[in-house]
Amino acid sequence: MQSLLLYLAIGALVGYFLSMINKRLGPIVLLALSLYGLFTLWNMPIGSVEDLFGFEDILQFTALSKYFSIITLIVFSCYAFFNIVWISKAKRPYAFSALSILTLFGTLGVFLTPHLIALYIFWEVAVVASLFIVPMGKEESKKATIWYIVISSIGSYMFLYGTFLLYSKFGTFNLFEISGDIASEGTGFKWLVSLLLLGAGVAKSGIFPLHVWLRNVHGNAPDTFSAVLSGQLVKMGSYIIALFLGAFPIATMFSQFYAGVNIFSYVLIWLGNISILIGTFMAIKQNDMKMLMAYSTVANGGYILIGLALLDQVGFAGGLFHVINHALAATMIFLSFAAVVYRTGTTKIDEMGGLIFKMPVTFVTYLVGIISIAGIPPTSGFVSKWMIFQSLISKGMFVTAMFTFVGSIGSFLYVFRPLAGVFLGQLKRKDKDVKEAPMIMLLPMIILVALTILWGVFPQQVLVWVTDVQRQFGMEPFKFDGTVLYSNLGHWDSWTVFVMFMVGFIIAAVIYILMPKGKKIPLDDQYTSGEFLHNFDLYHYATKYYAFLEREYEGHPSFEDWYTSIVNVLKAIGKGVDYLVRRTASAYTFWMALVLALLLWVRW
Amino acid sequence: MDKIEKIDERGVWEKIADQLRSRSMWMLHYCTGCGAVELPPSMTSRFDMERLGMGPMATPRQADLFLVTGYLSTKTLRRVIYTYEKMADPKYVIGFGSCTINGGIYYDSYSTINRLDQYLPVDLYIAGCMPRPEAILNAFTKLMDMIRKGEADGWKRYNENYEWYKQNQLRSLGEVVVYDEFHE
Amino acid sequence: MTVLKVAGIFLTAFFFGLTFEGIGRKITARVQRRYGPRWYQNFIDLFKTLSKHGYTHGWIFDFGVIMALGGIIASLGFVPVGGIVAFPGMDNFFVIVYLFTIGSLGMAMGMVGTGNPWASIGVARALTLMLGYEVPYMISIGSMLYFYRTSSISAIMSAQGGDWNLFKFPIGALVALISLQGMLGKEPFEAPIAPAEIASGPMVELSAKYMGLLMLMNTFMEFAEISLFVDLFLGGGTYFVFLLKYLVVWVLVVLISSVLPRFRIEQAVYFYWTVPIILAFVQVFMTVNGFVF
Repeated sequence: MQSLLLYLAIGALVGYFLSMINKRLGPIVLLALSLYGLFTLWNMPIGSVEDLFGFEDILQFTALSKYFSIITLIVFSCYAFFNIVWISKAKRPYAFSALSILTLFGTLGVFLTPHLIALYIFWEVAVVASLFIVPMGKEESKKATIWYIVISSIGSYMFLYGTFLLYSKFGTFNLFEISGDIASEGTGFKWLVSLLLLGAGVAKSGIFPLHVWLRNVHGNAPDTFSAVLSGQLVKMGSYIIALFLGAFPIATMFSQFYAGVNIFSYVLIWLGNISILIGTFMAIKQNDMKMLMAYSTVANGGYILIGLALLDQVGFAGGLFHVINHALAATMIFLSFAAVVYRTGTTKIDEMGGLIFKMPVTFVTYLVGIISIAGIPPTSGFVSKWMIFQSLISKGMFVTAMFTFVGSIGSFLYVFRPLAGVFLGQLKRKDKDVKEAPMIMLLPMIILVALTILWGVFPQQVLVWVTDVQRQFGMEPFKFDGTVLYSNLGHWDSWTVFVMFMVGFIIAAVIYILMPKGKKIPLDDQYTSGEFLHNFDLYHYATKYYAFLEREYEGHPSFEDWYTSIVNVLKAIGKGVDYLVRRTASAYTFWMALVLALLLWVRW
Repeated sequence: MDKIEKIDERGVWEKIADQLRSRSMWMLHYCTGCGAVELPPSMTSRFDMERLGMGPMATPRQADLFLVTGYLSTKTLRRVIYTYEKMADPKYVIGFGSCTINGGIYYDSYSTINRLDQYLPVDLYIAGCMPRPEAILNAFTKLMDMIRKGEADGWKRYNENYEWYKQNQLRSLGEVVVYDEFHE
Repeated sequence: MTVLKVAGIFLTAFFFGLTFEGIGRKITARVQRRYGPRWYQNFIDLFKTLSKHGYTHGWIFDFGVIMALGGIIASLGFVPVGGIVAFPGMDNFFVIVYLFTIGSLGMAMGMVGTGNPWASIGVARALTLMLGYEVPYMISIGSMLYFYRTSSISAIMSAQGGDWNLFKFPIGALVALISLQGMLGKEPFEAPIAPAEIASGPMVELSAKYMGLLMLMNTFMEFAEISLFVDLFLGGGTYFVFLLKYLVVWVLVVLISSVLPRFRIEQAVYFYWTVPIILAFVQVFMTVNGFVF
């Protein structure tokens, strides 16, 4: 592990200088490093302990580390592969490559150490490295960076404060040593520490009330880096949540509240509920496809949080499984968006249309991605949603179940908007000459499609990792037998579902082929109510796609506006202070008056 | 003159299909003129067209039967042809009233089309100004008979003599050039 | 044996689904004091559309239609039809509900793939309506899964015995019936396919066999949805008893739809998120606290 981290740290420098020779070498270095890391960590036995730079036993390879590292490395290898071509559009390719490698270094470090200070340092490395990539994106990305740094630092300072609180109490930074003793502490201390430590996770994984940075940052970051942000960096927050919920004896630390769920988990579940609601309904009304998926990330972060906070056999496994599903799906979707932007140069949904006939592979990637996000079999997205639903229903948590149902069905709505607006519908005249993305861009997308379907039909591999994590935390592991998945409310078999799906598909295809063949007609041969149309660009419904639904929650309160107004208040105070200390006649008068008043008052 | 016995060229499957087509005619009524008001009574409870398996459809793609219900100006004829060409084969056309036969009372207007079958292959005309629902239903049963016997082959004629129809259409209407959103 | 059962379910859905649809048309006609079509009219319609020579707008249109029918056929295989249970224990409620969406997604994708904006509008409406009816439906069924401690449809069906869930969970049954009306796209919830307003929405560019395949899909979908209701609330029963119960539910749905006008789409969603959701939570409250008759 130490050598891997060293290679990554050196790789950042090497990548920077190699990029100067040829821009494409930077992503190739990242690809080589992540494939090497994937190979090393895949084969590494769980429980290995190593030193780091002379500090003893800092690195510890747990089942949770393995799971999250593998997700990270899959995402990063696809990202690097995609970047080999895309890098030609990057604004500062050398720094971009070097900082990408540094981000990987930071996140892997976070996953590999239970030492809280080391974890904090790696965390900051990842945040700072990604922080400098974000402003290389669109016009507004510099402003977005401020959102990113402010909310990230809220999270990390909470984390740091919690860490020192724990250190002052127990005299150690090792999480697993602390977790044994914490249950006997006072209630206030337990609440404070848990909230502070999880604050970092909440901020990073875009959970309400710290969800506002996602829209700005994901929406404005460089196109491929959004894939890493949503597919991987957000998962760093999920890792922190999973780590503390698993390692701390949460169930004995806090009192029971409802159906075997303790009060602290319940607070988290409610944060998850609100995140799902906000993410879903805000995503429905976005016209920018990247911002739409950013809100989808908020909603899915809510799912993950709910699953993890349930802390039981099925729900916790579902939450963990959802991490990998969302990581793969978000990466697929953002990479396909990056391919679309690479060819058309816009992210506004209603400025595009009909790209399916020009970019079929990109379309298929997006399609499989959204099928997974919406949780439809036979993709892996369904497996985790099924687990979370089963757990919620078996506990009788129907209010939370309602939010998850709304999020799940709402996801059909928002994922369909780019599908209909960007890929289907009328092809715009300006896009007549658009070509499919280059082969190098398509390959990582195809790999992700294959993985999503493979793990949807044969989820065993992921479930082995997930149950290892559960065993590590002393939970009852999720029960599965081959492709048959069991919960306390019954079972299902992903292979049978897949076979039935193929049977249905074949029956439909046979009927289709037997009947007279349809005649191919061009896209502008349409039913137009008998009218001759001049401009078929306008015969495309993409603007305000869900206008009738958006009307229903038009005047909703916005946390982004609320935070902005706080900023304005602070600015006003700052301006006031500024006004008072400037060397102007009025300031002198003010201070004179104040001093005189003080003197008079003292003399009085 | 002896009536020439027409040879039935249809295969077995086509014959069966024609039986089905005659019993399930979905219609598209292009309401150009006063004939449209005769359709609601034929659809509703008095005459109930649905018992013959017929019903109104929303778009030409779904429809089998095209009702041209009244007089045609040059402007509407363009749209009638445009709509007809969107329908899927086999498709049938019924001309309503004397307007589609000879121009009716508007025969001498500068912009009225007098004979529809110069431009589209009409399978059946209903005489009258306007035809009553009884006549309409009579026409429908007649058309069903024709379909079963394979005589309603207007769509085949249109495909075979496409050049001739196109030439007539162009002569009367000219090429349709769409200049901008509001003019053609 | 499983293959035979699945085939049996498909054939039942095909013959009785289409027959009952024909009967439904007849009933609507009688309500409107018409004579109505023959009971086998829908078979004629289906085969006629399949025999025509249609138009296609490209591969996504073809693929969408096949995916729509294939997805529905797949999910139909998991629905217990009276005594015929193809996959005992594996007919998980959530699996069936989510398998349905493959078909819906296929249809939506294919139809929007034609490039006609009416189709997009229809699909947007259908999805919005789905957001309305699915939530109360899933909550009310969820309370039943919680009560029986299983999410297998056939297990719930056989656990009822003669004591139907309709009487055990009366409010839940009412919610499910209201949601069923929306699922079937019957009045007052048929805004997505409004013929005169948006030219029948998703179906606007459908010709010939494409129309036929989607009609078949619609039939299968109706059959599966009503079968779920019959299995969950009316105790399933043997094959013919099941069909009889099915017919009763279907006639009820048709009668409701034949006398009602149409909701606007936001009215429908607003309705679903007020009355049925509150009723569903009343049912949940009763179930969780043990008030089950």
